[in-house]
Parts: sequence; structure tokens; C-alpha cells
Amino acid sequence: MKLAEGLKRIAEGWIIKPKGYRVRFQQLVEGELVTEYSPGLEDKPLDSDVTTWRYAWKLAKATQPGSGILSPGELVNVTVVDDQDTMVNYYATGKLEILNPENK
Amino acid sequence: MNDQVTKLQELGRLMQERGPEMIFALIILIAGLFLTKLAIKALKTLLAKVTKNTATVSIIANSVGILMLGIVIVAAAMEIGAKPGPLIALIMIVVLAAIGVIVVFRPLIPTLPFTAGNTVKIGDLLGKVEATTILNTRIRTFDGKTFFVPNRQILDGVVINYHFTKTRRVKVDVTIRYDQDLLKAKQLIEAVMTEDARILTKPAPQVYVLELGLNGVKLGGRCWVNNAKYWVTKCELQEKTKLRFDAESIKFAYPQMNVYHRTDLETNHSQENGPDAF
Repeated sequence: MKLAEGLKRIAEGWIIKPKGYRVRFQQLVEGELVTEYSPGLEDKPLDSDVTTWRYAWKLAKATQPGSGILSPGELVNVTVVDDQDTMVNYYATGKLEILNPENK
Repeated sequence: MNDQVTKLQELGRLMQERGPEMIFALIILIAGLFLTKLAIKALKTLLAKVTKNTATVSIIANSVGILMLGIVIVAAAMEIGAKPGPLIALIMIVVLAAIGVIVVFRPLIPTLPFTAGNTVKIGDLLGKVEATTILNTRIRTFDGKTFFVPNRQILDGVVINYHFTKTRRVKVDVTIRYDQDLLKAKQLIEAVMTEDARILTKPAPQVYVLELGLNGVKLGGRCWVNNAKYWVTKCELQEKTKLRFDAESIKFAYPQMNVYHRTDLETNHSQENGPDAF
């Protein structure tokens, strides 16, 4: 195997570099949980996971469900995903994290 | 006194005879100058889309501007009765001479190594260039202060223009204790850099053991990022590295000194030599 090929395999298989990040969340729309993204899928994603996680945390805090039944405007299962819609590890812990999980 | 009265009378007579023409010539001159300025601005915008060479754009726009200025002056002069033949010849000579001077001598004229909008460092001053004049350059620093720097000082000093290169290297230097897992620390720094969307893949991020220092092992992460994202990326890489090290229980080094109290030496010494030895 040539060095260039080896480096290519490392780039493809070791750490996949995302092209951007979005906040993924769910909210009630006409009685059903609907998954949405911010920025939207048609918009350019954010290029910083730190910024995106901070944004997700603030969004989760601002829309935290009260006790009991989920109300319109409240967001659950808030997390950060990459451009392939794959969950991104929280940079502080290196683990997946979901804010405002639906089943507490 | 009589001379002044005579001159005033002549001026009055001239205004009576040629007043409307002179006013009309003045209007042509003012409107012409205004239109020339607009035309130069539009031409520069148009040429900037065609070529990125700012010097070429400037030469062409200025040459056209001088030509238009000449036409405006001729038109105004003709309005007040000047004969067009010799006037046009004179103006053309001046215009061609001016264009020649611009084309030939422009490369020799000292120019400022930046344009408005560039981020530069002049001495200890880091900021964005807002405007340049013949005498000074207006720079706005990132904490909101506006500085007027004399151009002479800029031409004599060292200037860093961050717009000349598109990319910039980010350094992530950390020092870990000697009893920590060196390879794991290197892997973590490399992973933090590699997984960041802003870090360029070529050249690839690297981690080096920079120094076996007094307090610990100094590691240096090196990666490249687009200029505009340098500062935020650098700060966030440091934040992520610190937190990732904490999560993986890698301890940072800090200045320290171990002091040993050798009681055994003292005891042996006093036993061998007796109490009088001290």
C-alpha cells in the first residue's frame, strides 16, 4: 500500500470530519412529535461544534418542558448532529448527550 | 483706487456680455466633475469583477478619469468662447502626459501594503483598516478604538497583513505531568484538531513533543485554518483540549518544586562525628 493510499484510508476511516453542525430537536406539531433542525436543512450549517452545543443548551433551557404533558413550543430530545444527521459527541465529555430527553 | 474701480467696471461689463455663458460653463464644469467621479467609481466596480489586479484597475480608471476631466474642461472653455483647436491640443498634451506619468511611475511610487477592509498589525496595533488618506491610515482595533497612523510610520515599519495568505497555523500547546500517558495525550490533541470542521485536512494536524521541561512534557499541536476563523478556532481548540483531558483524566503540569528533607544524612553524620561536628 502506498503512503498516499494509507493516508486516504485514515482520513476515511479514523475520524470523520463533519462539514458542519446542526441542532436537532423534536416538538409537538398537531399532536405529533416532529423532528426539526436549526439551522434548517436548507440553510448552511454552523462550523463550530462548541458554538452549536452552546446554542443547543440555550435552546433547550429556553424551551424546557414543564412537568407533565408536552406543550406546543417546548422542545425535547435536543442534540447536536453533523451534516450527515449523525449525533455528535459532546466535546466536553466525548460522549453523546441529549438535552431535554423525552422520557425523564 | 482708480485701477480697482476700473477692474470692477470691466468685470461688470464682462458679466453683462458673457454672464450667461460663464454660468453655463461653471455648471458644465461642476456637473462634469461629478459625472467623472461617478464614472470612475462605476468603472472601478466593473473592472474589479473582471480582474483582481487592483493596480491595473486603478491605472485604467484613473486614465479614463483624466481623459474625461480633459473633455469637461474643453467643453467648459468652449462655452465661454475659447477656440477649440489650440485648447484641445493643449489639453490632450496634458492628459497624455498625466497618463504617461501614472503608467510609468506608478510601480515606483511607495504604496501602503494593504487596502481598506484588511486586518493588519502595525507595530503593536492589531485591527482592521477602515480608510487611507494621503497623510494617514485609519485603523479600528478589535476593542473598538480608532487609531490614525501616519503613513510615513507605516512605510518605515513592519506591517503584517493577514489578508495576503488565506490560511494560518494554529498552535495548541499543553504541558502534561511526567507520570501521565504521553501517547494518549498526543492522540487526544490530534483527535480534537482532526474532528473540528474548520481545521484543514492539508496539511494534516500534527502533535509534537516540544520539550522535556522542568515541570512536565510540553506537547504542541499544529494545524491550519482559514484566516478569518483563526481566533475563534484557536480559543475553541484550547477549550476542547482542556475539557477532553479532564474527561480522560490526563493531568496538566504546573510549576512545582519538590523539597526533600534528608533526616537520615543528618542522623548518620552526627553519629559518626559526634555532637561537636556541628
